[in-house]
Amino acid sequence: MSPADPPDDADDLLAAEYVLGVLDARARRDAARRAEVDGAFAARVRDWEARLSPLNAAYPEVALPDLLLRIEARLFPARPRRRWVWAAGGVLAAGLALAVVLWPQPVPQARLVAGELVVSVRLQAGLLDLRRSGPSAGEDRDYQLWAIGADGVPRSLGLLRGESLTVPTDLQPGVTLAISLEPLGGAPGALPTGPVLASAVLGPG
Amino acid sequence: MSDETASDLIQRVAQHDRAAFRALYALTAPKLAGVLTRMLKDRSEVEDAMQEVYVRIWQRAGQFSADRGSAMGWLVAVARNLALDRLRARPPQGARLAGEDPLALIPDPAVGVEARLAAAGQARRILGCLDEQEPDRAEALRGAYLVGLSYQDLAERHGIPLNTMRTWLRRGLQRLRECLER
Repeated sequence: MSPADPPDDADDLLAAEYVLGVLDARARRDAARRAEVDGAFAARVRDWEARLSPLNAAYPEVALPDLLLRIEARLFPARPRRRWVWAAGGVLAAGLALAVVLWPQPVPQARLVAGELVVSVRLQAGLLDLRRSGPSAGEDRDYQLWAIGADGVPRSLGLLRGESLTVPTDLQPGVTLAISLEPLGGAPGALPTGPVLASAVLGPG
Repeated sequence: MSDETASDLIQRVAQHDRAAFRALYALTAPKLAGVLTRMLKDRSEVEDAMQEVYVRIWQRAGQFSADRGSAMGWLVAVARNLALDRLRARPPQGARLAGEDPLALIPDPAVGVEARLAAAGQARRILGCLDEQEPDRAEALRGAYLVGLSYQDLAERHGIPLNTMRTWLRRGLQRLRECLER
């Protein structure tokens, strides 16, 4: 921990209370959300998890019925659910019919705005199309784009270095997109570490 | 259980390796079932929560980083977080109805716990640090972590106002951190 973050500050206690589990529903949800987008806070949470983890030895082992098949049925449903999978794998005629059906639908889009930085996002045909205007991230920094789904977990969509970027994706409208400022090369782990500059829901056009 | 094995399996699960996922379940299910049983108590809710825990493990395996901590610690944290979310979502009167005696909300607070803790060498330090606290404060910290008691539950149990309990436990956490960092 850097000297700039005295260990006795409020953030560290909040992280401790969150890990200990004593917060009420609302404070707990706020802290969990913060750990998702604030790398420094997430690090404090990990530190407290490590501090308290020796207590885990007190949990007994308990035998339950084997739930693996039910878990796998939840994780890996038998049929693909995404429409574009059918289009890609289906007969040409079916694909064309689907294209006709899908064509007039509005294009899902989002605008992420932080001061002069504006990132416009459009989702079309399984491709996420990003355009940036405004300042670049700076010499030793990168902008990183994230998708936060229903499970609340941010997933990296990649770095936004130039003025535009197109990435193949299976994202659906309704997902939250966020952009964070990261060290050059992006967040070292799976989660954002830098400040979250802007976020927006990918909505109907 | 070797933490290295679990760590290796989680990293393979992050690559969507289903065989590794099955092996990880076989290796870790009894412990995570123990966490959920201790915290949620109700058997059918435990079974439902177990499924959700492993769904989360599959979805979030990519966030595990072996150089940041132990694999088992990460897995227990996933299970504890889910159990805590469910406990906090329960209506408060439901929790009270679960046991007429407020103490019954905390099953076997001490039985076996110390023995199991003492068996784990790495737990000695935190035990020592808990021993430095006043006994009721140490017990509140343990009850919160292991059983999932909220500030509200703890205040009721110890018969003190919520804000007093909060101040009390925060001081306890600060002292715990100081002790562990000595």
